[in-house]
Amino acid sequence: MCSDAVDTEGDLAQEHEALLQFVYMAPVGLVQARTDGEIVMINPVAAQLMMPLSHDGGLSNLFTALVDIAPDLRSRLAAFAAPQGMVCDGMHLPAPGGARGERRLYSFSLIKLDDKRIMAMLQDVSWQAQRERLLRHQESWLNAILTGVTDYALINLDARGCVTEWNESIGRVTGHGHEVVGRSLAVFYPEDAITPERVQDRLHEAEHNGWSLDDGWRQRADGKRFWGSAMIAPQRALAGDSQFAAALAANADAAETGYCLIVRDMSGQRDAAQEARHAAVCDHLTGMGNRRAFFDAAETELRRWQRLPRPLSLVLIDADHFKNINDTHGHPVGDEVLRHIARVMGATFRQIDVVARIGGEEFAALLPSADAQSAQRVAERLRATFEAHPAPTDAGPVRCTVSIGIATVDESTSSVEALLKRADEALYAAKHNGRNRVCGPAAALAEPG
Amino acid sequence: MTTHLALEFAQTELLDQLLTLDASELDTLEFGVIGIGADTVVRDYNALESKMAGLSKERVIGHPLFTVVAPCMNNFMVAQRFEDAAAAGKALDLTLDYVLTLRMRPVKVQLRLLAGRSAERRFVLVNRKP
Repeated sequence: MCSDAVDTEGDLAQEHEALLQFVYMAPVGLVQARTDGEIVMINPVAAQLMMPLSHDGGLSNLFTALVDIAPDLRSRLAAFAAPQGMVCDGMHLPAPGGARGERRLYSFSLIKLDDKRIMAMLQDVSWQAQRERLLRHQESWLNAILTGVTDYALINLDARGCVTEWNESIGRVTGHGHEVVGRSLAVFYPEDAITPERVQDRLHEAEHNGWSLDDGWRQRADGKRFWGSAMIAPQRALAGDSQFAAALAANADAAETGYCLIVRDMSGQRDAAQEARHAAVCDHLTGMGNRRAFFDAAETELRRWQRLPRPLSLVLIDADHFKNINDTHGHPVGDEVLRHIARVMGATFRQIDVVARIGGEEFAALLPSADAQSAQRVAERLRATFEAHPAPTDAGPVRCTVSIGIATVDESTSSVEALLKRADEALYAAKHNGRNRVCGPAAALAEPG
Repeated sequence: MTTHLALEFAQTELLDQLLTLDASELDTLEFGVIGIGADTVVRDYNALESKMAGLSKERVIGHPLFTVVAPCMNNFMVAQRFEDAAAAGKALDLTLDYVLTLRMRPVKVQLRLLAGRSAERRFVLVNRKP
């Protein structure tokens, strides 16, 4: 009996150790935490992925450790009303911290176990993401054609992107009459949602990839807006279906034959897939673009710049003394201030600008076709607005000024990270020189006066 | 039960000293010792490290450190440092603050990374912070 007991105990110890090693070796990061984020258990891969993000060299709190790449986790969890369940499932988070400084993509899931415990799963999916991107493109292409829509207009464009002929579907969906012939496809967009450069980008991308697709606000002839998508395809590529690939390869003269534009009215479409897409690219707290959306858009914009240089500026905005607001009034008021910042940014920037919350109290706006001076002008307007208008909160008006750094893309801009770093240096100069001010690239280099 | 070893985590020229010790002598040290070869396979794993991590030597020795034993160090902060030093043919002696997941608890530690020029024998030393 006695030896049996010892054996059982030995077996248990062995099993315990094997179990421990199983979790040590698990190829995904696992974290168990309290609902305030304090980490209770964490396995090695989670530490491997999170240590490069940690500001204080520690991993005591999940929300703090991930604040740079997912600043809205705390509010996502707070907004999750069910007693248990999946708070986010496989959310993609761009992260710095590759071995040679390259950007990685993490997949992140958060599960609420009960009112005291949460569990997180973290995985580096950079390679999978690259493979899946191709598949996703094909999928969205199919969706664009097959998904039920309120109505669509089929529009022929010439090589410069101008409407070549009128038909009934144009009249039905956009309200335009025959006068639309000869005008640029920009006529279907609200004024601040497109630039002549962007029109050329879309045509180029359509030719290069076989198609170009974007969702967003469209505008009818009477000025009314509707949510729609626009797909542009070179005409020859659309015509040859079975020999799609061959047609692509042979369409060297697509620029001469022109393009086909399909504008789809998607008003009232709010299916689950759309909600999911929205959740993936939007910051939960402010509703504006999130870090991932920003990086995706910025990389596209930088590629366009590299093909055809034109003004492109980045405005980096940081709320001054934000920690004081949280400390004085509490997080809910801090959240209201962040939403105020998002609203003011939304009202200040154009629709074509990419505005996003990219950190806890850090926001970014990427301004296509805007040089340093015009970026400076709009940034100054933004700064003055925050100075003059406190955020309305439950604790009364809370004044929160902002510091702003500006960087403009030039030949030396090798990546989005490099551009961000330059804007960050200018932002640092703005902070250093007393906050509530705008600094451009020159100021970042100059000695503080 | 020899106590003649008074090697300390932070002392100078530690690599040379460690290389003279056998397994039982490494066990008397008061900091964690993980020794790896040029192939990153674990050769030494002392008693203190084994106790802190909750893994017996048999489960660890002979396995690659960065993939099987301690994936948490497989990033640019630790593994890359060894790789870079080896590629450059340089010795490495670097102390850094880190967090290990000992028995799944995040534990603040100091790591000291030691490697000779040849990278034949390399060490990760672990000091639990007071």
